[in-house]
Amino acid sequence: MIVAMRARTGKTSPQSLTAAGDVILVARAIDGDSLAFETLIRRYAPIMRAYAARIVGSPAEADDVVQDSFFLAWQRLPDIRDGAAVRAWLMRIVSRQAFTHLRRRRADVPLPLATLSSTDSRQPEQVAVRNAQFSALSAALDRLPDDQRQCWLLREVAELSYREIAEELAISPASVRGKLARARASVGADMEAWR
Amino acid sequence: MNDLTRTQLDCEKSLDELSDYLSRDRTPYDESIETCPECLNALEALERLGPLSRDLLAEDAAALPPLSDSWIGRIMTNIHREMRSGRSVPISHSDPHVTVTVTEGAIRALIRAAGDAVTGILVGRCELLGDLDTVDAPITVRVTASIAWGESVPGLADEVRVQVYRALAQHTQIRVVSVDVAIEDVHIAERGDAPSSEGERP
Repeated sequence: MIVAMRARTGKTSPQSLTAAGDVILVARAIDGDSLAFETLIRRYAPIMRAYAARIVGSPAEADDVVQDSFFLAWQRLPDIRDGAAVRAWLMRIVSRQAFTHLRRRRADVPLPLATLSSTDSRQPEQVAVRNAQFSALSAALDRLPDDQRQCWLLREVAELSYREIAEELAISPASVRGKLARARASVGADMEAWR
Repeated sequence: MNDLTRTQLDCEKSLDELSDYLSRDRTPYDESIETCPECLNALEALERLGPLSRDLLAEDAAALPPLSDSWIGRIMTNIHREMRSGRSVPISHSDPHVTVTVTEGAIRALIRAAGDAVTGILVGRCELLGDLDTVDAPITVRVTASIAWGESVPGLADEVRVQVYRALAQHTQIRVVSVDVAIEDVHIAERGDAPSSEGERP
């Protein structure tokens, strides 16, 4: 007869873990604490969903991509080198998953890119300028070739270093630098049309 | 590269050239760029695109419908199928036909719960060093933790040590030879978990 004992989880709830820093949450999640992992999900899923939606175009598909990214993250968590860098690590995973999803879909049925509305109901006047800027940027990002968009998002949103991006995309740091310069110039030129 | 990016400013510099210059962190210093008001304007506009992209994504995130519990629930269900339970630790029983074990994962959960019960402490990593498969083998417990801002490190570390010893003695038969506590992070306590020295907080 095998009797398995499960420890009661005590007072800890996702609520009380929200104060914990990433290092602590990652350490606990590696040890098998699913509540700590859930806290990480709640912390980073919003930016990951937005990131994936920028790449795959539809929020519903982005949600699937992010879900897959978290399954993968749970499995690979023991390999993470620095718990403090978990945000960039997750962004790398979601970027990879989103582009894989995109390639698979394009090989399948081409879908029109849905426009993400960044609507804001607050103070219409101030917000209008900001929104015009955002929609110009949004359109400019959509027009970038995939490789440039990928580099741009990894650098400016995921905040990876040139070296990390090079490693991620298996290209040289010099070519990352080149793609980023091209992307910046294109987006800048597009935005110029708005200014 | 497209037609637009080759478009020259009135000073005859192109956006491509300026973007390259930014990518090189504005080195080596280019006087023709750094002294031209039009170039400087364009550089500033190009430099703003990074922060603006971050803001755009934050805006996108805020505009998305909130995360549903069922969406998170699906992830959690899959994760529970792959729990990292670790080694099985034997526990002796008066009836020799009965095998009782407790998983390493459950022991770590017990240690976390004991440590978290100390106000101002959130446990991080728990390691059980030693031969867990053998009853009565000496085990060293190593715990990392985060401490609430304003709390005394030696005081709380001692308290964690006491609580972990007590919990393991009460619920397991592990022979704990030492509990090492390393405080490696600081957090701001939530309400209801406030440090005793309220006034010292920033």
